[in-house]
Amino acid sequence: MNKVLARKLVRYAVCLLIVVLLVFLLPRCMPGDPVQCLVGEDVYLTQEILDSVTAKLGLDRPLFEQFQIYIGDLFTGDLGYSYTRHQNVADLIWDRLPWTLLLTGMSMLIGYAFGIIAGTWSGWMTEKKRAKIMTGFGVFVSCIPPYLLGLIFFSVFVYQLGWFPYKGFYETPDFFSVVYHMALPVLTLALFVFARNMIIMRGSVLTEKNQLYPQFAKSLGIPRRKIIYGHVMKNAILPILTHFAIDFGFILSGALFIEIIFSLNGLGRVMYTAVLNLDYPVLSGLFLVIALMAICANLIADILYGIIDPRVKRGDDQ
Amino acid sequence: MKFDRRYILPGLLILLFLIVAIFPGMFAPYSISDRTATYQAPGADHLLGTDNMGKDIFSLLIYAARWTLMIGFASGLLAVFVGTAVGLLAGWRRGALDEFLMGTTDIVLILPKIPLVIILAAYLGPSPWVLIFVLGLLSWESIARVVRSKVIQIRSSEYILAARCLGFSDCRIMFKEILPVVFPVIVPKFVLVTAAAMISEASLAFLGLSDPQTVSWGGMISDAFTYSGFLRGMWYWWLPPALCIILGVLAITSLAFIHERGVREVMQL
Repeated sequence: MNKVLARKLVRYAVCLLIVVLLVFLLPRCMPGDPVQCLVGEDVYLTQEILDSVTAKLGLDRPLFEQFQIYIGDLFTGDLGYSYTRHQNVADLIWDRLPWTLLLTGMSMLIGYAFGIIAGTWSGWMTEKKRAKIMTGFGVFVSCIPPYLLGLIFFSVFVYQLGWFPYKGFYETPDFFSVVYHMALPVLTLALFVFARNMIIMRGSVLTEKNQLYPQFAKSLGIPRRKIIYGHVMKNAILPILTHFAIDFGFILSGALFIEIIFSLNGLGRVMYTAVLNLDYPVLSGLFLVIALMAICANLIADILYGIIDPRVKRGDDQ
Repeated sequence: MKFDRRYILPGLLILLFLIVAIFPGMFAPYSISDRTATYQAPGADHLLGTDNMGKDIFSLLIYAARWTLMIGFASGLLAVFVGTAVGLLAGWRRGALDEFLMGTTDIVLILPKIPLVIILAAYLGPSPWVLIFVLGLLSWESIARVVRSKVIQIRSSEYILAARCLGFSDCRIMFKEILPVVFPVIVPKFVLVTAAAMISEASLAFLGLSDPQTVSWGGMISDAFTYSGFLRGMWYWWLPPALCIILGVLAITSLAFIHERGVREVMQL
């Protein structure tokens, strides 16, 4: 396992390096004034401030020295300063991140739990009409971009029926207010996560079904429910873990878009205004943080995989 | 070979979208530069009303098909090209090159795509070509993996050995002997990448990261969202492009699923 994990760690390190290099090089290699590319295009600053930015980031020095300064800043948690918002980028992201993680975490919890169970069931009962309908529904939902699903829900449940509030959180977020505001966004994202996992799980159970051990278990007289949810599901869950690593970035981006639709107070709105104002420091910071989270998710998935599947630990798989 | 009837409905739908995309002038009652009164309700003159600029929404819907499909298919093609090349090389050569190429594939897989496209589009400017290029170069990894495992599966088979003994060059074996066998695996992947690119395009356009000169379905939804189409209850503004995206992606994806099922059935025989 150590060898496999070590190889993966090298890949993650390279991936992180590429991300950092990208964020570092993009503004500096764009045609035009790098200072303007680093502070954002739509802000007007006095020459004094521009000079101080140049001095702070060492823009008049060679590229390698600039990189050293940049890495040093990153290690002290300095992601730059947004001149459009007049705020530290790190503070801004740190402030909003919990809300985005709450939305993502809740939706993933619900979506994964129901998706795995429903996928197992519909993979086992492929011939049943209800299973077919459910599979069709899953394919349909996973073909809709998450933000469109959010728009449709917003217009039906908020605009037409008025069941949920128009805008995000209030100043003092007490428990019921948060639940009231988060219910529909969480439901939207959870539905999306559910659909994806259901399809993956169904395919996985289908291949597991043709193996001999479920039949053997059946011949031992073990009840069907126990075979499906105790034995088959445990084996079939591995592809879900593999996909978790890849899907995490996707779900997180989906969460950002859903926050925009429902005017939630998370990173999504930060990203939206940053795109509209071409606020490059914020966009770079966001990208760095999201990439870091995606890499962490991959690492967690690898570790979990090793725990659940002993074959990986022994290295049979590779 | 028996023709599968399940192909008909999605096939016809895609054909319709393609015809509309190629000859928008035949279907659209107005050109996209025509302007009349703003925010009109649907009526005899304007089937789906007009938007905030006074443009006919139905005509916009038709002209938008071109860019949405174009971006989807072009980035799908680019991804297939890169993915097949990487997969063929890695599977055929093995060794250090394989290790390197698969490492690269893993890294591309981890990179969070949509945030990356957002930051690139923000810096490079929202041109559809940038979008095609970036989306294409970010979505080849699954193709490379499938192609590689298929190549490894067949590289030790006897007919490849025969070709090697006859002294054919690596290049010839790869293109003439291996590529045709790998091809059926690539097709459904191409289709899925195309669908994913269409979804990404729609998401980016929603953020306002699309060229204002080009109309796309995602851009129309974005306009409806920013220019109070929602608060005015103008569902006929955002729902038709939304349905077009969903139907297009659904039709394309279902082609891939039917095909994959067909492959599985053949494999079991």
